[in-house]
This record gives sequence, structure tokens and C-alpha cells, in this order.
Amino acid sequence: MRFTKSTIEINRELSELDMFTINFTNILKKYTPYVIVSGYVAILLGRARASEDIDIIIPKIDFPTFESLLKELRENNFYCLNGDEDEYLFEYLLERTPIRFAKQDTIIPNIELKCSKNRFDELALKKTMIVKLPGEAELTISHLELQIAFKEVVLKSPKDLEDAIYKNCCQGNYR
Amino acid sequence: MGFIEDNQRERIQFILKWAEYVRTHDDREWSKQQNIIINSCLETASMTKEQFFRMKKR
Repeated sequence: MRFTKSTIEINRELSELDMFTINFTNILKKYTPYVIVSGYVAILLGRARASEDIDIIIPKIDFPTFESLLKELRENNFYCLNGDEDEYLFEYLLERTPIRFAKQDTIIPNIELKCSKNRFDELALKKTMIVKLPGEAELTISHLELQIAFKEVVLKSPKDLEDAIYKNCCQGNYR
Repeated sequence: MGFIEDNQRERIQFILKWAEYVRTHDDREWSKQQNIIINSCLETASMTKEQFFRMKKR
């Protein structure tokens, strides 16, 4: 793994979870900036655990953009677990309730997509890092220091504290 | 020390050991091992939508 201030290069064997996330974000980024936060980031960096979902934050978007995003996701075999009606899902998102996307006929893994709703989310969207993967795949994650602080100070569950410890350790290369 | 503290201490020791392994070995090597966990978890996971949302609410 190679770290710079704004990028991480990982020449890793991609997991099913990685492929799922790359496929989703390759569509998402055509319509809006995004940032991946929380547990999946630790897993991407090597944490020895799995996750049922991947948390992604986007800024507030308008309905036409959302509609176009939904259309392309559906064309690529994604569906929304929360429902089918575009206007209903858009209201859900605007109310800052996450909506979830999975591949057709599956529940897990899924993407938990939410609109930025507080200053932590806004900061996550502003302070990002790019993770460069094989096959020229790239994922945008929240800056590691921010995520470590959030897990240690705000979330504080045993799992989150372990993720924070792991992220702290694997950064050793560029500290 | 009680069981929970012992257990947590052991878990953190493993995390430190694994992080050291990831730092000192080729990305292909550690990720191949990690993917055994990830891919097998996804393969065996099965629940309904309702079960999933109920689990998340807890």
C-alpha cells in the first residue's frame, strides 16, 4: 500500500464487495460527487472482517439528476430496497433518511446512500482521499484522520473503536 | 481482568498483528486471505428485506 496526503494505492485482489462498490460508484459519480465512509473503508484497507453495507454520502441533488441516476442504476441491475416510486424515494433522501441499493434479487451487500445532513457529513465530502485500485478503478473515501476521529469520539462502539485502531496502524507508512 | 476485558484485549492484539502483516506484506498476499472472509460471508448471507431492516434498527 502506498500513501500520499491525498491518495492511497492498493494493488489488492478485489473482493466481491469491492467489485460491487466500484460498479455502483462508477455510475454514481457521473451524477454527483460522493464519499465512502465508515466500515467499508477499513475493509478496503485490509481490516479482517466483512460488512453487509457500504455507507456513501452525497451532497443534496435535484430531482432530475436523481431520476437520471435511478434510471441508470436500474439499467445496470441495481434496485432500491426502500421502494420503486422516484418521487417517494427523492423525498426520503431529502428528509435525510438513507436509501439502500442492492443488485436485483439480493439484499446483501447493499449501498446505504444518504444526503449530507450535518457538519460531519459536509466535512467528509470536502476532505476526501482517492483510493487507486487495480484495473484503473478509483474510489473516493473520507480522509482517514477524519474517520478515525469520528469513530473514536462520536460512534465509539467496540467495532468502530477496532476499525479506528486498524486505520491508525495501517497508516504507519506516511505518518 | 474479566472475560470481556480479556476478550477485547485479545481482539486488539490481533488487529495490531494483522495491521503489521498488511504493512509488511505484498497487497496481493494479504488481500487474498482477507477475501476468503469477505467473499464467503457474502455467499452465505441470506435474509429477507424485512429481516435486514429489523437488524439495522437495533
